[in-house]
Amino acid sequence: MAVQTRKAPRGFHIRFSDIAVNLLLILIGVAIAMPIIIAIFTSFKTPSQVITFPPSVLPKDWTLQNYVVAWNVNPFGRFLLNSTIQSGLITLAQVLFSVMAAYAFAILEFPGRNALFYLVIGSLMVPFELVFIPNYQLISALGWGDTYMGLTMPFLVSAFGVFLLRQFFLTVPKDFHDAARIDGCGNWRYLWTVLVPLSKGSIGAFAIFAFLSAWNQYLWPLIITSSVEMRTLQIGIRYFMSTLDRGADWGPVMAGAVIAILPALAVFLIAQKQLVRGIAMSGLKG
Amino acid sequence: MAQSTLDGPTAARSTVKARKRVWPTLEAYLYLAPTLIGLLIFVFIPIFTSFQLSLNRIAPFGNQTRFVGLDNYVTLLTSADYWDTVRITFLFVLGTVPTGIALAVALAILLSYPVGRMAWFYRALIFVPVIISSAVTGVLFRWLYHPVVGYLSYWMVQLGIFENMQQAPNWLGSKEWALVAVIIATAWRQLGFNVIIALAGVQNIDESFYDAAKVDGAGILQRIRHITLPLLSPTLFFLLVINVIYSFQAFGEINILTQGGPGRATTTMVYSIFETAFVGTPQRGLASAQAYILAVMVISMSFINFATASRRVHYQ
Repeated sequence: MAVQTRKAPRGFHIRFSDIAVNLLLILIGVAIAMPIIIAIFTSFKTPSQVITFPPSVLPKDWTLQNYVVAWNVNPFGRFLLNSTIQSGLITLAQVLFSVMAAYAFAILEFPGRNALFYLVIGSLMVPFELVFIPNYQLISALGWGDTYMGLTMPFLVSAFGVFLLRQFFLTVPKDFHDAARIDGCGNWRYLWTVLVPLSKGSIGAFAIFAFLSAWNQYLWPLIITSSVEMRTLQIGIRYFMSTLDRGADWGPVMAGAVIAILPALAVFLIAQKQLVRGIAMSGLKG
Repeated sequence: MAQSTLDGPTAARSTVKARKRVWPTLEAYLYLAPTLIGLLIFVFIPIFTSFQLSLNRIAPFGNQTRFVGLDNYVTLLTSADYWDTVRITFLFVLGTVPTGIALAVALAILLSYPVGRMAWFYRALIFVPVIISSAVTGVLFRWLYHPVVGYLSYWMVQLGIFENMQQAPNWLGSKEWALVAVIIATAWRQLGFNVIIALAGVQNIDESFYDAAKVDGAGILQRIRHITLPLLSPTLFFLLVINVIYSFQAFGEINILTQGGPGRATTTMVYSIFETAFVGTPQRGLASAQAYILAVMVISMSFINFATASRRVHYQ
């Protein structure tokens, strides 16, 4: 019997358990994504629909009004700009500096290499809670509170990035490096014209990590920004929500949440495979 | 650069030799400089500054500090309020971690089933919380927990779990439910990451084990019980450690959903550090002492993780 069904044409090879698993997966999947689905649909509802009971998932009349309010009444445009500058700077710096340090640890030979590498890896164990008060005091003392400098400075380097990229650089045959040296190619040129193009995949995966974790930062931007103009999206939406107690609508808040999610969601949908592989390989969220 | 100096015909032999030795080292340190300086200023030095702060009482709104030795630690360890934050933190960890991992493993096993073309779609739906920030998670769940038009209570009533909306829990307003509410939100955000790790673990199990079991007539549940779970144990252990660490550090959801309240019902250790250092009258010495106690707990978890990492290599 089993042999016969296996030989049947593709279209007929449908077992009950296949349908059951598919149904179960779509049900669970929708349930898990439900908070996001609700936020997206709520952001298109008119004020009266938002607070009707019983609550419905889909809007009856679609409106963009909530986005207009979020954009104009609350400076979500400005928040988006701040988040972009903050995350962009952090990602660029982390990639650049991690590539350089990973090169030194993987390719170059120098006294103290192992000790320094363990020191860098060891820093991964230090929880942010231990250092954020001194960092806050330092940034404030330098007069960088409420500036882009203050938002980005403590996050320009990444021990995780150094570790990840070093692992990859080690897999590139050393012969490449020797050959380049014989041809008179210095380290700097070899790194950027040979090694980096060879490692595009790993560097890309790390850049995605760096971007997402910077974009989603909360505690640091919360304490280091004080003016509305310097808030990132995450902080902007937090303060926007606190106006709800004074009678504001949930619709624009949800529009703000969707604006905050969209860039990360776009990255996720475009680079799902790399992101998932990166997380699975490193066991870290970046 | 190094090459060209070697070719210089006028260079004295000794300087050439010295440069040959010095330059590679110097060059390496130049490559490392940004990373090392960054870590030094924002990680390594603050470890000491933080400890020094924890030994001082810092007058609020002034720069007057007074050395008080271990007073801050004594104050904490003899304060019922502080022990309450420790208790709440452990409840929070107990609420988020075991259910989160169990759910992630169940989903990973389901996702490893060959479902064909729709696989990417199911995965996208189940993985997606991994890219959502703690702040947005807080906002999304605050809406779901809405006391009047909240979806969660409404659906629970529909499912017959509660008789009507009045009987449904006052998620964020009651001391009993507030902790459950932040646990659900945090576990939700953590789920995407957990499923990704669990799925990688499940997919690394060699097919031949299952084939052998099938030949022996083992059913699906027996295969999960006797093959998947035992071979997944390194992954499960990793998930346990990393989830405990993340839960210890959860902040955004609490800040947005409950701000540690009602009362102090959701004031975890991390939340207490933030509150002590930045809300009302800042007491940064006392907050640093709390940060040190928390750090010791988190670092010991990380240490266990690093120490056992080599044993996982086969499966990851």
